[in-house]
Amino acid sequence: MVIIIGITLKGIFRDRIFQGIMALAVIFLFIPSAASLSMRQVTELSITLSLSLISFIMLLLAVFLGATSIWKDIERRYTFSVLSLPISRQTYLLGRFLGIALFILITALFLGSMAMISIKMASLIYPPARPLLWSAIVATIIFDALKYIVVVAIAILLATISTSFFLPVFGAISMFLAGTATQQVYDYLHTPSALVAVSAVVRKAALMLYYLLPNLSGFDLKVHAIYAIPLNIQGLLLTLIYFLVYTGIVLSIGTLLFARREMK
Amino acid sequence: MSAAHRPIMALLVGLIAYRVILGPFTAYMKQKPMEEKLGYLPSTDVMRYMSADHKELLGASLVMKVIIYFGGIAEKQQTNVIVQPPDYARMSGILHGAIKLDPYNLDAYYFAQSFLTWEVKQYKLANDLLEYGMKYRTWDWMLPFFAGFNSSYFMKDYAAAAKYYQRAGELSGSNLSKLLAGRYMQESGQTELAITYLSAMEKGERNQALKKNYQTRLAAFKEVRRIEMARDRFKEARGQLPTTVEQLLQSGFLSPAPVDPYGGQFYLEPDGKVATTSKFAFAGAKKENKQNTGEPQ
Repeated sequence: MVIIIGITLKGIFRDRIFQGIMALAVIFLFIPSAASLSMRQVTELSITLSLSLISFIMLLLAVFLGATSIWKDIERRYTFSVLSLPISRQTYLLGRFLGIALFILITALFLGSMAMISIKMASLIYPPARPLLWSAIVATIIFDALKYIVVVAIAILLATISTSFFLPVFGAISMFLAGTATQQVYDYLHTPSALVAVSAVVRKAALMLYYLLPNLSGFDLKVHAIYAIPLNIQGLLLTLIYFLVYTGIVLSIGTLLFARREMK
Repeated sequence: MSAAHRPIMALLVGLIAYRVILGPFTAYMKQKPMEEKLGYLPSTDVMRYMSADHKELLGASLVMKVIIYFGGIAEKQQTNVIVQPPDYARMSGILHGAIKLDPYNLDAYYFAQSFLTWEVKQYKLANDLLEYGMKYRTWDWMLPFFAGFNSSYFMKDYAAAAKYYQRAGELSGSNLSKLLAGRYMQESGQTELAITYLSAMEKGERNQALKKNYQTRLAAFKEVRRIEMARDRFKEARGQLPTTVEQLLQSGFLSPAPVDPYGGQFYLEPDGKVATTSKFAFAGAKKENKQNTGEPQ
């Protein structure tokens, strides 16, 4: 397994993806000056821009790395040579997943450090009204990384059943968008106006989807980081457990499907 | 021409064509009407569902859009160019959308407060917006400070104003709001209240167009205050109210002559109240107050 993780990481670095990220990280230097357009909350806007940039880069990574790694292996027929080695398909799949997950965490660490430098710079030039809550900023970046690891797991699951990369790429993007919106739909369905307007069947179906799709809005802590609102530790723990359980389920379905897949 | 040179020629032709088109294209984009730049947006609900985890970013970018739009028009007005007044209704609508995406965004409340009051006269709307913000920004003294000012200065609801000021005082920990609460809770102190409020707003303002707006209004109110003080001295000395500003000038109570930065003439109303023919607005910006109510769409 460690070998597969190593190979995955090496492959990603060989594709110069990390260099690309480093080049993008130059944008962080311009964030404080872009944020100075704000009238009363320059530091807050710097945090918003930094965190959104990190989130966007990680989304691209999660979708494309998660969706293409297995597909590429099958397409290039690497899987035959890899699977002829004394390792199981399960180990191969999990190794690929863990390699990408590790890369997402490395990226989060790197981009997070860059973001914190740029936030610190902004806060020195334009002191915020409330002191920065660094713990919330760090937690936001970590939970963002976890969120995209869930997306990687979903992309890999879709890649195990797909013959092209369209389904994993667009499937993962759709699941991501749906996953960030499910909580809003759920909240809406519990408002008095929705109880009247939405029929019972639709509500049942929506609730089913709510439990089936990943609830990614729980991982979004940006408001806490931007406006220095204290975190709910118990809620974070629950989110972490949710992450482990959900990713575990998605990966076990993935390995089951991959084990049955015919490869010619 | 050899086959090897063809791509180079194609590139050269492309570059020349790009250079030729760039000038007219940039000019076209530059002269695009401001209204078009403000643009039309999908409903807030759609944006909320589609913005994934970038709600705060989207909220901030909506606020930015409005600030840049307004800044462009305000700068022209300040240099006495007569332009179409800003579309306040649309601005207000976009800001209302922005706070639905990110109810903590201070810029949105702050900017809405700056034009919903004097320019559009939608005091109730401004205070409803501030009330909404207070539910989220529970630590912020600025929102109750604004709401208190609106209540006392514009709506003459001193009971509500006192409540807001008390809250602002508790949150800020300074005696600023307590000062306001006591001294200005009467009709006679209103000009001074406006000067205090405008000074506070002008001091913290970083956007140049808005800062200039506040400075102009502040200058006007300082002139009003000067006339009021001369009027009071006149009344004390002569036992009756003066009827015109000229009377104050001739009798030596007021010197030098007051200047309205909006280009109007100060005059005294029959009850002694100081008013100006400009109504504290630039000439080009007079008509729109009736048309654009600032109500969210």
